[in-house]
Amino acid sequence: MRLVDRPWTAHQVRLTRLARPFMVAAVAIAAGLGLSAALPGYYVYLAISVIVAAVALLGLGIVSGSAGMIALCQLTFAAVGAWVVTGLNVAGAPGGFVLWLAAGGLVAGVVGLLVGLPALRLRGVNLAVVTLGLAAAVDVALVQVQFPGTTEGRFVDRPGPFGDDRSYFILCVLVLAACCLAVHFVQQGRWGSGWKSVAFSERGTAAAGGSVSSSKLTAFATSATLGGISGGLVVGQVGLALPASFTPIQSLALYVLAIMAGAYLIDMAIFGAVLWVAVPELLKRWGVPQDWGFVVFGVLGVQALTSGTNLGMIIRTALWRRSASKPVAPTVSDAAPSVSDAAPSVSDAAPTSDPAPHPSPAPARGSMVLEVDDLSMSFGHVQALRGVQLAVPEGAVVGLIGPNGAGKSTLVDVISGFLPRATGTVRLDGVSMAGRSPTRRARLGLRRTFQQDRVPPGLTVGAYVRYVARRRLAAEDIAEVLDFFGCPPERTRLADVDAGRRRLVEVAGHVLAQPRILLLDEPAAGLSHDEHLALAQRLRQAPARFGLSMLLIEHDLDLVRSVCDTITVLDFGEVLASGPQADVLADPAVLKAYMGETEML
Amino acid sequence: MLQGALAGLAAGGLYAVLGVCLTLMSRLVRVVNFAQAATGMFGTYVAVWLVSDAGLPIWPAVAVGVVIGGSISALIGIIIGTWLPEADTGSRSAVTVAVLLFLISLSFILFGNRPQPFRPVLSGPAFQVSGVVISQVAIFTVVVAVLVALSAHVVLTKTSVGIRLRALSERPTTAELVGIPARTLSVAVWATTGAVGTLVVAIVAPTQSNDATALSMLVVPAAAAALLGGFRRLDLAVVGGLVLGVLQGAAAQLSQLSVARHFLPFLFIVGLLVWSQRKEVWDAAR
Amino acid sequence: MKTAVRATVVAAAGVLTLAACGGDDGGGGGGGGEIVVGSVNTLSGPATFPEASEAAKAVFDDINENGGINGHRINYRVVDDKGDPAAAAAAAREVVASDGAVALVGSASLIECQINADYYVQEEILSMPGIGVDPDCFQTPNIAPANTGPFHDMTMTLLYGSEELGLDDICVLLEIAGNTLPAYQDAIQRWTDITGKEPLYVDDSVPYGASDYTSYIVRAREAGCAALAINPIEPDSIGQLKAAEAQGWTDVTWLLLTSVYSENYANAVSETGEGVYVPAEFYPFTDADSPEVQEWRDLMLANDIELTSFSQGGFLAAKYFIEVVEGIDGEITRESVREALHTMDPIEDPMVGTPYYFGPGDTHHDNTAGFPVKLLSGTNEWELAADDWLHIPED
Repeated sequence: MRLVDRPWTAHQVRLTRLARPFMVAAVAIAAGLGLSAALPGYYVYLAISVIVAAVALLGLGIVSGSAGMIALCQLTFAAVGAWVVTGLNVAGAPGGFVLWLAAGGLVAGVVGLLVGLPALRLRGVNLAVVTLGLAAAVDVALVQVQFPGTTEGRFVDRPGPFGDDRSYFILCVLVLAACCLAVHFVQQGRWGSGWKSVAFSERGTAAAGGSVSSSKLTAFATSATLGGISGGLVVGQVGLALPASFTPIQSLALYVLAIMAGAYLIDMAIFGAVLWVAVPELLKRWGVPQDWGFVVFGVLGVQALTSGTNLGMIIRTALWRRSASKPVAPTVSDAAPSVSDAAPSVSDAAPTSDPAPHPSPAPARGSMVLEVDDLSMSFGHVQALRGVQLAVPEGAVVGLIGPNGAGKSTLVDVISGFLPRATGTVRLDGVSMAGRSPTRRARLGLRRTFQQDRVPPGLTVGAYVRYVARRRLAAEDIAEVLDFFGCPPERTRLADVDAGRRRLVEVAGHVLAQPRILLLDEPAAGLSHDEHLALAQRLRQAPARFGLSMLLIEHDLDLVRSVCDTITVLDFGEVLASGPQADVLADPAVLKAYMGETEML
Repeated sequence: MLQGALAGLAAGGLYAVLGVCLTLMSRLVRVVNFAQAATGMFGTYVAVWLVSDAGLPIWPAVAVGVVIGGSISALIGIIIGTWLPEADTGSRSAVTVAVLLFLISLSFILFGNRPQPFRPVLSGPAFQVSGVVISQVAIFTVVVAVLVALSAHVVLTKTSVGIRLRALSERPTTAELVGIPARTLSVAVWATTGAVGTLVVAIVAPTQSNDATALSMLVVPAAAAALLGGFRRLDLAVVGGLVLGVLQGAAAQLSQLSVARHFLPFLFIVGLLVWSQRKEVWDAAR
Repeated sequence: MKTAVRATVVAAAGVLTLAACGGDDGGGGGGGGEIVVGSVNTLSGPATFPEASEAAKAVFDDINENGGINGHRINYRVVDDKGDPAAAAAAAREVVASDGAVALVGSASLIECQINADYYVQEEILSMPGIGVDPDCFQTPNIAPANTGPFHDMTMTLLYGSEELGLDDICVLLEIAGNTLPAYQDAIQRWTDITGKEPLYVDDSVPYGASDYTSYIVRAREAGCAALAINPIEPDSIGQLKAAEAQGWTDVTWLLLTSVYSENYANAVSETGEGVYVPAEFYPFTDADSPEVQEWRDLMLANDIELTSFSQGGFLAAKYFIEVVEGIDGEITRESVREALHTMDPIEDPMVGTPYYFGPGDTHHDNTAGFPVKLLSGTNEWELAADDWLHIPED
């Protein structure tokens, strides 16, 4: 259908993309109004519990699903929100319940920041230990200290028009809709891309100039904020805040549920919340002791965690299959052939060396973009690099070759800042990079790609290149560069792109970032022979076209030979030869090093 | 104050043993086992049940409990080893979170939540020095902690099994290639730590209040202890457990710390993390 | 973002399915001559109280087998609140609004009174818990438990310690959950008012459900306490006794509450220092041959229900309810039950020291008697510690 409606402008597409979530929210609110009128009183009360859990799960979905961390204290943040609401109630603060609710969310977010901050580089498991410790400590402390007003029995009144259960349910629906909208837009934006990127690869995130710790912190704090709001909602629901609402075991169960349901998807967070309330309710109806509820969650959680699937994914895939059988949207399988069709056409066009869209910066040959001097690196007793010397002039493509294990990838790691223990100097435009993190270096224009797949499958091609580029981009520019490198179109999900082409998307993203220099670590791995040749031609044009310099790491001599004028050969961590292509490849020492290497061809 | 601090030794010893188990698992099978204390709890409750309802004498009952604790642990090990052999520590550990939830809830169902009529194996003071009492349990847990750490160290550095285990943990794929039975060995590690954990909990639990949640949450101070050794060093894990226990005991004597003392393990953990992670490290090997 | 529509549909479908499963018996009074009676209990989670409602159910089953109350069968609806506030509120709505209960009888929950007291007032329904735990069970207009309650129990255990046992230097350790602190402080104050004695010190920071209490015990010993008055739940008390045992502290007297008065507890502790003393809220059930407990005991044994204070409370609440409702002329509805309870005569029972009375008062804290029992070292058995009820003297 979309294909027929071609004359849609980018502007119109943007508008519908903005408007649709609001329309969905409106439908959801209308459904909520209907439910509040139609359900018996008791079920309205249960439905409020569903919404409370849904808000908490939305948050957990962000930390555990999108950002891939283990957070076991969601209800502790809920307790913070509850504390703020009851505290403001006791203090008789102005603004009323809704404002207190927002304040509770904010304070919980700040607490989340404070908890996350000291352990900035929270590796998955450490965060789990920290959060479980926090949950246990707060639980005991809360029982002892009690929420404000509990001792005096000061109930928190629901706000004016939302006094009874039915209307309070409507208020909850509104809050949930607002939270879902916020999460949706944040997920679509830079933060969301950062979370998905950091969940898949911390290195990939840093290499794209994203800060690993701030991505994790924003995820954690956003999740805590939602936790706080859910805690405030409980207070409105029950009228009182009691520690029993926020026990560690319930936090554990919520985490497991978030994983099991796939709560990083908004609809699945709501579905998970329905389970949270429905499972105990059904057990009650069947006369089964309630403790079985968490046993069931435990078993399903183990299943979900070990198989790496979740209910959300299963349900979505099933639905997707059904809708895919009807040819509605251009699905990926349609898109893929068109890409490979496009590839030859580009290589046809290549020899006619099309005019560069960028006024290529005056190729002041001689000025070095990247200078590497006396670089050494050892792992224990193994000397991986020894006194390596290398320079990449402005606008050049320098090749770095060497047999397997020669230290090529180690060199890239050192240059891009992932191995800060290395000795020697790395200069970008004459400025020493010593002491700068990979993120810093990437932001200064020293970019790299990876030999392994570091492209988060959870994103679309467009979202990924925007994230990597770190600058405002016109849709046309993106389309052009994607097309240039033979990548699938912007709306394709990376999960549906094969590994080889995913690496091309990675290259395209970094090119769009307009770096000073781009280090490409075996970009052709996983590509067919034809694609290989096409890539070589594009890479040769890239410096002039996009105004960048490149260091191409390969062990495939064909590619290097066709792209690079200058070549450096690495062997056993040392520079074996360096200079113009012809000289280096004629060097007997180089030939000897490569002798017997089957890849040499 | 001194008496209070020493009173914390029994708890500290328990933290230390569990901390050593956590360290071993983290080193050898790449898991931070959140169900470590819960497994011990479950095995212990089986033993209690055998004594009170099946009328078994205490030692055979504890033996059965230890076997059950070890088997549960081994089962988790098999599940993780089968479906997540190459996954990172985070994903593997997440499974144990679900197991923790499972074990606590199941124990409520099977054993109820009443304290079990459990005759303590050890009780009473061991000796008294100038008015300061050291209990038998304190001596026992501290000795067990040191013993477990020492024997694990000896096994790992001096025996061929230990060397294989280390090879396994450092290069799992290579180890498999050179013919080390990776799965069998890692399941053995799971079973052993499960059994050791159960044994200590079974001996210490009767001398304390012993409800399922409190026992399972012992994994928090245990993790704090293990963190002192960075989940690598056994000796520091022992020290960490003892120090934490003693600190908690001392803090309980000061009523102005009545709320703050609950946060001791948490603060201990955060402090250690900030210190140990002050340098940037990266997730994957490359 | 179509997904969110789907989510709404999924959520709606889930809730509706539940509603369908739940049936639609949202009427009032219960048709077909049935009397719907509700009960909100903590039945799952880390601390549970199943016996009160089991005992009440046994009483009601017995009545139903004998033709019900004036020909009406009792439909006893027991709901679990999981110790979770939201679930407790939902549970009350389920039995009161959906099932249309005429009253709540035989409840036993950690938090239920506090959460639902206002709701019961709003719905004009009365509750007769088997065991009331939190202060709102005793200080609100629509709730009147069958038991004495932990606060009077605290006053009594202190009275027994200082007056009967003649102990000085009593220290009070309080495990505070929820809003109980002021009520315990009042209870201690009442003891001081009666006897003119003060506790050596009061520590209200003792945690619930801790794994090790050694440091609190050490502190108490160093402060020179001769007796410890504590309000522990069973597992915590066991931990505290064992901590004292490990420290070799054998000359301490334990003044505890009915919460630890069980056979299970007696089996779990053998070293009790100078003894554990408890003013039992009901006639001591461990005195198995006494006529006071025969009727209750037979019914519990016949129904395989544990013999505990909780089952005594549930049993009594159900008996009181039946006696009051049998006196109602005409239809048995929420209104008529309320009316009957408000105008009832006090009911005597051999299992309690004070007659039960609901009445129209704003608070219901009039049960002021306990029967002292003791657990001495090495016996593993509770014994009577007095010949008669211990009463708190009137002010």
